[in-house]
Amino acid sequence: MSLLSAEGLVKDFGGLRAIDGLSVSIDEEELVGVMGPNGAGKSTFFNCVSGVIPPDEGTVTLDGTDVTGDPPESLAHRGLVRTFQNTRELETMTVRDNVRLAAPDQPGERTLPALLRSGSMKREEEAVRDRAEELIETFELDHLADEYSSNLSGGQRKLLELARTLMLDPDVLMLDEPFAGVNPTLTREIADHILDLNAEGMTVVIIEHELETLTELVDRLVVLQQGRLLVEGDPEAVLEDERVIEAYLGGDAE
Amino acid sequence: MSALDRLPSGRGDRALIAGVACLLVGGLFALTPLQASLPSALYVFVEVGITFVIYGMLVLGLDLQYGHTGLVNFGHVVFFAVGAYATAMLAAQDSFAGIALGYPWPLALLVGVIAAALLGLVVSATSIRLRDDFLAIVTLATAEIFHSIFVNFEGIFGGNVGILGVPRPIAGLVGDADTRMIATILVIGGVTLITLAAVTRLTDAPYGRVLRAIRADELVTRSVGKSTIVYKTQAFVYGAALAGLAGGLFALYNGAVAPGFFTIQVTVTIWIGMLLGGAANHRAVLAGLAIIMGLRLVSRFGLSVTPVSGDVFAAFRLVVVGLILIAVIRFRPAGIWGDPQELGVDQ
Repeated sequence: MSLLSAEGLVKDFGGLRAIDGLSVSIDEEELVGVMGPNGAGKSTFFNCVSGVIPPDEGTVTLDGTDVTGDPPESLAHRGLVRTFQNTRELETMTVRDNVRLAAPDQPGERTLPALLRSGSMKREEEAVRDRAEELIETFELDHLADEYSSNLSGGQRKLLELARTLMLDPDVLMLDEPFAGVNPTLTREIADHILDLNAEGMTVVIIEHELETLTELVDRLVVLQQGRLLVEGDPEAVLEDERVIEAYLGGDAE
Repeated sequence: MSALDRLPSGRGDRALIAGVACLLVGGLFALTPLQASLPSALYVFVEVGITFVIYGMLVLGLDLQYGHTGLVNFGHVVFFAVGAYATAMLAAQDSFAGIALGYPWPLALLVGVIAAALLGLVVSATSIRLRDDFLAIVTLATAEIFHSIFVNFEGIFGGNVGILGVPRPIAGLVGDADTRMIATILVIGGVTLITLAAVTRLTDAPYGRVLRAIRADELVTRSVGKSTIVYKTQAFVYGAALAGLAGGLFALYNGAVAPGFFTIQVTVTIWIGMLLGGAANHRAVLAGLAIIMGLRLVSRFGLSVTPVSGDVFAAFRLVVVGLILIAVIRFRPAGIWGDPQELGVDQ
């Protein structure tokens, strides 16, 4: 059974139909890449699934539950977390606080435990600290832990965003262009992290333009064009598909 | 551990201890025949000091809303006014105009706080989803609407005269003027210090981390699973309730409320105090407020040594306040003690 599926998604922006009856289904522990030329509807698809914008039509199902139009915060509780195309850091917070923030179920985020400095808050915060430290180390950001995230480079921001997301220990991770603007060494590093997470059982969906890295990485490729599903399947087969070549090279769509 | 690494530790506890101590000593002056004497030269300082500790609660609430959560509230005075009017109308024994119900003052104070919090809740429910500048307009408009309601519904709010005959609990206990002033500033100052301790605990805890994350980027905060609407509403309502508490205490200290006490001037004073000191830093906003209110003292003394009339001098003081604000924005946009990186004004 699929873990995450979108059925007949439609989203209009004024007169423009960004996605048009798109159905995609993702199995548990799969590593899926989503590609397509600019304006194909990749980001809109992500936004509709992750609750950032509600779809006009269609349903989104997560682990058997209809979550269509649910806001991002409730999807995060259900185990679906995403990153953003242009990294969105909490620039006025330190790297540490960025990562710690994402910790789920911290009682100290409610008024009374915070005012009373309850024991459960302190114990939880100790655990949050250890976990955040661990993630910061894994992503080799430890020398920057006390730095405000506005001072980080583009690649470091991608790493931080990934670390922050993992604090939630999601079942489904949706990455919007995790390699954009990242140097080749760091790209390799991020790709390795993604492979590790997938090997540990996390389901990962990636939007990416960097075709080389993406095809090496994923189990399955989904190609969108003009808001519709063009081709899906094994990466090698998809890349040799004539329709894909045409879509990318801008041949005449008859 | 570095200073940047906020621990839910003992910060703010000194304020709590000092606040309780102030309340106890103030209570001692109020309830026992113990007397204090105050050189008459210091009267004006204590008087401004009492206003400062009342406004201190306002600026702490505003800083929770703006400094930590990023909510722009240009109508903070309305919650102060609603708290004051509700307390006054419920507690007043006999008012020249308007409603006077004569209930015990502790009940009236409680209702004052609740009334302000409820108004905060209504404003949040309708407007908290708006972008910053629109929330600013809504709050500003709310304050203006209530101001004209207070002036025009004479039968209820007493018009420009306001509500008179509000009981003054401390004045009722202490006859001697010197002791009364000392007891008043200690008791209200104690409440302000306890408020400082409470907001410090709140913002040092993971709770404050969520507020600062909302200020930085609301969508990211939502995407890591925080219900930002709930937090924004809470921060707004807490700020409103604190303003209501300040208003209720003001009514019970002053013995009367009138629209003249609740003009936009109050909002402007606390905003400038907050920006001058440095938003998102509780002690800094109090210090900033102290500087702005200290100017009042300077001007009181200055008036007697300058060869201009009172009106000219008052206008001149406004010019000075304006110049200070310009200087702060130009040279220290994060305020004197504010952290430019944390406020995102570091260029």
